[in-house]
Amino acid sequence: MVREFNILITGVGGQGVILMSELLGKAAIADGLSVRGSEILGMAVRGGSVTTIIRVGEDVYGPLIPAGKCDIVMGLEPSEALRNAHFLSKSGLVILNTVPIIPFTVSLGQSSYPSLEQIVEKLNSITGKIIKLDAAQIAREAGSLLAANIVMLGALFGTELLPLKIATIKERIEARFPAKVAPVNIKAFDLGYQVCQQAVK
Amino acid sequence: MKELTISSDAPGERIFVLGNEAIARGAIEAGVQVATAYPGTPSSEILENLARVAKEVDMYVEWSTNEKTAFEGALGVSICGVRAMASMKHVGLNVAHDPLMTASHIRVKGGLVVVVADDPWAWSSQNEQDSRYVALQGNIPVLEPSSLQEAKDMTADAFRLSEEFGQLFMLRSVTRIGHGRSDIVLGEISRERRKGSFKKDPGLLVYVPRTARINKPLMLERLEKIRKAVNTMPYNQLNLVDNAKLGIIACGLSYSYTMEAVKWLGLEDEVSILKIGTPNPLPEELIIKLLTSVKEILVVEELDPFVELHVKAIAGEHNIGVKIHGKDVVSRIGELSTRGVTEAIAKLTKSKLPVDFAELDKLQQEAAPLLPLRPPALCPGCPHRASFRAITTAAQRVAKDYGEDVEPIYPSDIGCYTLALNPPLHAVDTTVCMGGSFGLANGMARVVEAPIIAHLGDSTFFHAGIPPLINAVYNKANITMVVLDNSATAMTGFQPHPGTGYTATGDETAALRAEDVARACGVKFVEVIDPFDLKAATETVEKAMRFQGPAVLVFRGLCTMIELRDKKKAGEKIVPYHVDQDKCNPKCDACIKLLGCPAIIKQGDKAVIDAALCTGCSLCAQVCPYNAIIQE
Repeated sequence: MVREFNILITGVGGQGVILMSELLGKAAIADGLSVRGSEILGMAVRGGSVTTIIRVGEDVYGPLIPAGKCDIVMGLEPSEALRNAHFLSKSGLVILNTVPIIPFTVSLGQSSYPSLEQIVEKLNSITGKIIKLDAAQIAREAGSLLAANIVMLGALFGTELLPLKIATIKERIEARFPAKVAPVNIKAFDLGYQVCQQAVK
Repeated sequence: MKELTISSDAPGERIFVLGNEAIARGAIEAGVQVATAYPGTPSSEILENLARVAKEVDMYVEWSTNEKTAFEGALGVSICGVRAMASMKHVGLNVAHDPLMTASHIRVKGGLVVVVADDPWAWSSQNEQDSRYVALQGNIPVLEPSSLQEAKDMTADAFRLSEEFGQLFMLRSVTRIGHGRSDIVLGEISRERRKGSFKKDPGLLVYVPRTARINKPLMLERLEKIRKAVNTMPYNQLNLVDNAKLGIIACGLSYSYTMEAVKWLGLEDEVSILKIGTPNPLPEELIIKLLTSVKEILVVEELDPFVELHVKAIAGEHNIGVKIHGKDVVSRIGELSTRGVTEAIAKLTKSKLPVDFAELDKLQQEAAPLLPLRPPALCPGCPHRASFRAITTAAQRVAKDYGEDVEPIYPSDIGCYTLALNPPLHAVDTTVCMGGSFGLANGMARVVEAPIIAHLGDSTFFHAGIPPLINAVYNKANITMVVLDNSATAMTGFQPHPGTGYTATGDETAALRAEDVARACGVKFVEVIDPFDLKAATETVEKAMRFQGPAVLVFRGLCTMIELRDKKKAGEKIVPYHVDQDKCNPKCDACIKLLGCPAIIKQGDKAVIDAALCTGCSLCAQVCPYNAIIQE
């Protein structure tokens, strides 16, 4: 029985964050688990920060992850991972897509963007477990730049920490995409999975 | 295998849904025959999802022009003996406030439920008001779910209760219910379909003074029955433990945070918990049982101390000597969290915190200055950006007529265009409520010597913009009123409205034009403008602002998100612009500084256009003084 497992997925509008939580949620149900989660829509139009939460287990009641209790932070964008770092548990894990998306406020001179080293250093002050990957590059290898979120999903399963079956999530991916692009997404998932496995070793 | 959805006839099966889908499913299970709404975050997906399956489940579903009309429509259905639901966001409930206050006097025939979605932390709203007070004022019983399953169950049950007690009911959702996700177990779908019939009954339905006097005592009798019944409803549950250190009363979603906090602190055997699912009226017998079993009470609820005040009153009335905590230890601002509730319980029970929260706060504070600002922005290609460029350029020119230091005033409204508050557009001076732009402008024109150009969107215009427009004509206000017509209720998810030519369920209908409405209302200066013809648009705005008397401008440009979707469907190619780096003057930055388009970024000292984001709208090419921006 799973007591509590918390995943936070964060990125920028348009990266496919919400799709990831839908796939995970449906897969969890198919595997017989209870799911809770939440997302912020509305003002999170294109370009804004987007965060979604997926929680599974018998002890989970609420839609939000308590600060300090997140098992995995999935950062589809590095600075957004840092923005949510305080949710991380000390034994938690970060999967970080290292490709930054610089907001227009930086061009306007209203804010600045941190270096990847600064981001990793801050995350390191909570947990040493950080898996870094270039999801865009891997997605390109798989055949579509649009599949970066599925690369990240593969990496998430590559940790082997999830109480979910790989076969189930792959079924969900195949059901979600048109037959024409499903194979590319499965390949993206597999490549993400492998990269993470190598990093864990 | 066909995937199960909210319309599936599959009792006992589990599906993964958004909270607003759960509420929609509840309405389907209850056999609701009419659902009405006006879009508003976080409530919009309730009606959106019903509209999608309306024909399949035999339900009439409409986007109404505003929440008042939506609720009145539902009330009309209920009077004719058929089940109806109106859904809206918290501030939408204010628009429906007038009929709500009298509707509760009417003994219900067909089950009638108003669903209201509150927005703690005002994620997508102008305030974080607590709708339970509206219910209290209007004598409306409230069901408040603690989970998505309960949101579905309560919605379905609310119609049965409404008919059983003859009373209008309210379901109170919050952002984390409506935009929460979870698995829910489906129930039976009622296939009962009633034929509406109207029975003349002026003593119940015609609210002349005498009718209110006759029906108020009858309404109070019905409420008294509900007051007794809530003590045994499954939504309220009392779990007493022996020698409890603390008694907790948790309302709605706060119950979920409370359960997690108690487990986190390891206090399962040391606190008694009363779960509240009916904040109005409260289960008084259960509350008294809890109050008399402990020395200290904590009331956990989001936003205002609604339950807390009533619990204090009950304790006073029954002379129970118990210390009652609530908003002294739990925040009245924003959303609650397991952490917030954990800290409150730990403080009262003198327990050790499970996590060093101070350390996490320190980390957050240290990270904050490193983080880039990532506010939501008008999309690349958004016609509003072009409209604002024309509006502010013309308004600055006209303001000079009033004096060197005079600034134009830009009353704004509720919609995507509110994002023009941010630099570099700076075209939003006030935002209060739907239609408030034209309304406030009417008043300002009486007392300031400055040009006033107010703007709102097309959906907002039909919702609440027409009465203040008529007011401006009637009272001869010298203001310019702009309708930014992008043919959608864009901010909430592109829902159709009376100007779009089709209904919630996709049927074709008359498309009202804002310019026709304005002319019919007696406005003498009315022009329709293409936002992307910047020079002509600017000149027309200037003319309108110099016109003596009310003027109306309709900027018509399809929402870029819809345009891109349509182009993709049609297989049309988007041809982006790019910067000719030889012509670009690195000291200029006009495109960046005037427009704030997310597709234009600075690389080194030069402007570069992100071809993946550019929609080919041409606006940047029109403002570039060096003709350095060209289409590929």
